[in-house]
Amino acid sequence: MKVGIVGLGTMGTTHAASYQRIADCELVAVADIQLERCKTVAERYGVRSYASLGEMLASETLDVVDVCLPTHLHREHVEMAAAAGKHVFCEKPLARNRQEGEAMVEACRKAGVTLGIGHVVRFFPEYRRAKEIIESGQLGKVGTVYTYRGGGGFPMAWQDWYANYQWSGGLTLDMIIHDFDFLRWTLGEVKRVYAKSTFGRAYNRLEHVLVSLRFESGAIANVEGSWLDIGGFGTKFEFACEKGLLTYNSKDATSFRSYQQRTGLESVQGVAVPESVVDKDPYTQELEHFVGCLKRGEEPLISGDGALGAVDIAMAALESIKTGNPVTLSSERG
Amino acid sequence: MKLGIMSFAHMHAYSYGDVIRQLSGVELVGVADLDQERGKQAADQLGTTYYSSYEELLKTKIDGVIITAANRDHRELTEMAAAAGKHILCEKPIATTLEDARAMEKVTREAGVKFQMAFPCRYIPAVHRLKAQYDSGSLGRLLAIRSTNHGRMPGGFFIDPEAAGGGAVIDHTVHLVDLVRWVFQTEFREVYCEMDRSFHDIPTEDCGLLTLELANGAFMTLDPSWSRPDCFYTWGDLYMQVVGTEMVTEVDMMRQSLERISFDRPNYQWEFWGANSDYYLVKEFVESFREDREPSITAQDGIRALEVALGAYESARTGRPVKIGLA
Ligand SMILES: NC(=O)c1ccc[n+]([C@@H]2O[C@H](COP(=O)([O-])OP(=O)(O)OC[C@H]3O[C@@H](n4cnc5c(N)ncnc54)[C@H](O)[C@@H]3O)[C@@H](O)[C@H]2O)c1
Repeated sequence: MKVGIVGLGTMGTTHAASYQRIADCELVAVADIQLERCKTVAERYGVRSYASLGEMLASETLDVVDVCLPTHLHREHVEMAAAAGKHVFCEKPLARNRQEGEAMVEACRKAGVTLGIGHVVRFFPEYRRAKEIIESGQLGKVGTVYTYRGGGGFPMAWQDWYANYQWSGGLTLDMIIHDFDFLRWTLGEVKRVYAKSTFGRAYNRLEHVLVSLRFESGAIANVEGSWLDIGGFGTKFEFACEKGLLTYNSKDATSFRSYQQRTGLESVQGVAVPESVVDKDPYTQELEHFVGCLKRGEEPLISGDGALGAVDIAMAALESIKTGNPVTLSSERG
Repeated sequence: MKLGIMSFAHMHAYSYGDVIRQLSGVELVGVADLDQERGKQAADQLGTTYYSSYEELLKTKIDGVIITAANRDHRELTEMAAAAGKHILCEKPIATTLEDARAMEKVTREAGVKFQMAFPCRYIPAVHRLKAQYDSGSLGRLLAIRSTNHGRMPGGFFIDPEAAGGGAVIDHTVHLVDLVRWVFQTEFREVYCEMDRSFHDIPTEDCGLLTLELANGAFMTLDPSWSRPDCFYTWGDLYMQVVGTEMVTEVDMMRQSLERISFDRPNYQWEFWGANSDYYLVKEFVESFREDREPSITAQDGIRALEVALGAYESARTGRPVKIGLA
């Protein structure tokens, strides 16, 4: 399998490193409009570099295009790769809204290529273990859930695109979509969404979001996300069930801790890429899974369709934030 | 100063009885409970006299009473105590309806007796630190709060919808609502609530999630669920994460605990070593009538907190956010 990555920011460079660890899979080219950045990565792995996906497709024979671009550029590039007959792995969130997402799914279906989305939380061992326990029924029915993600400060990236809410969708679409996807995967469909954000109430980099989700199963979830600095990036969850509690806090549940000494001169760069100190990191597992599915001709765990469900929840939350009213999701969605 | 306790339906009565004994110049003269067995046992435990009727207790030379009956009975007992000229410390929530709560405010005002709500969380040292942070401006403008007041399922009158006025939501909403009103000197404007009965086979809801709008432009979620298992290592929690423009601050009352692991069951328990806020609550009550001044936590505070809890039930019924304070 020959892979080319487009977009070599935080995620693109993470993926480039991951491909080095995957057997029968070769990173052959990378593309980024920032040529310097592109060359640095290309030299590190001995691959060719291009200024755009178009150029990369014109000169390379690829099986897979991995799209690690800012969210508003996902559709255009996924459709271009599909039209060229390449399988596509695309970072989450799938798209800025359902319409765009459906078009992307449709483009890949028409072209007969597979689309996989980077909902990497499904490959975090602590989250997988939680899902296993909940599904085993050992703790009985889930009553209430709390999840948290963030606290690492506002992400700095190319052209400050995270701060452009038309491009990124803000914290709700960009970050806590991880929890929407995980919860939907674990508990099933969401019935009703109500949400509040500091967006519009404060300097827009101080975004903090609190979401109330009601699942078809009856479970009530409180999903919290933050782009504030709350002592560094972290994640938490609690499942309160009929027969017990299941809790996790990334700050406590770690087998490895080290402390950077501060001179006071550092500045934060890039977006937090959460890490679990495990035998194989979740980003590598997610890509290995995708490439494996292509070889075996299977549907990946997170297809475009699956990712649409998480986009729906995020869009409903954004609508609720805007209108101040609860948003009911129809159960007839795809 | 002489005090009496009216009813042991609410378990906080035992803690109030204990702190009375620690306060100098304050004496627990007697307790009354219509449940003879419970009342006698409580009197024994607290080393005081048992009265089988409220009237008898009110005839003694006490200055004030602590009302720890079922929520629905707060009004009747308040009226009795006010008529007897006794000052009142009333357990939360103030009542089960706004009509009752307003009647209580009126009758105590007219009788010229002090009426204080039992919101002991105002005396948690970490809450004082938070208030100081906010008052000094170092927290900045308030943006958002995530809060939880989890507990175990208490049983007793708490799960009788008539006697309690609801379940977990009315029981656990009022503490945090009162704290936020007091710390940030603001009111609640709107409430949205999801609630359900998911953990126990009881007649009331046992879990929920409130999403609230504050008059100062901030918002808040509050989880009042009885979602801690019976074997949980402490009674529950009182937690607030406060997001300001300049600071994010967490208040986690129960974290001031030792972790105790033993061979015997329960194997793992938290031993709380923080300040006893009930002590300061009862002290404030006694000082209010000793110094003949308004208690710092009034019937109005009780009414405001009840409005939010009742709004939550209406929201859960209608599926809409509900405006608060229009009734
Ligand atoms: N799975 C995760 O945990 C996770 C974490 C962070 C980000 N993401 C997602 O990954 C995607 C990328 O985010 P990021 O933080 O890496 O962004 P980034 O800004 O760090 O990187 C984007 C890169 O794209 C390049 N670029 C922009 N336009 C281009 C174009 N037309 N052609 C070629 N290159 C172009 C930029 O030069 C930049 O290097 C987003 O969708 C984001 O939501 C996922």
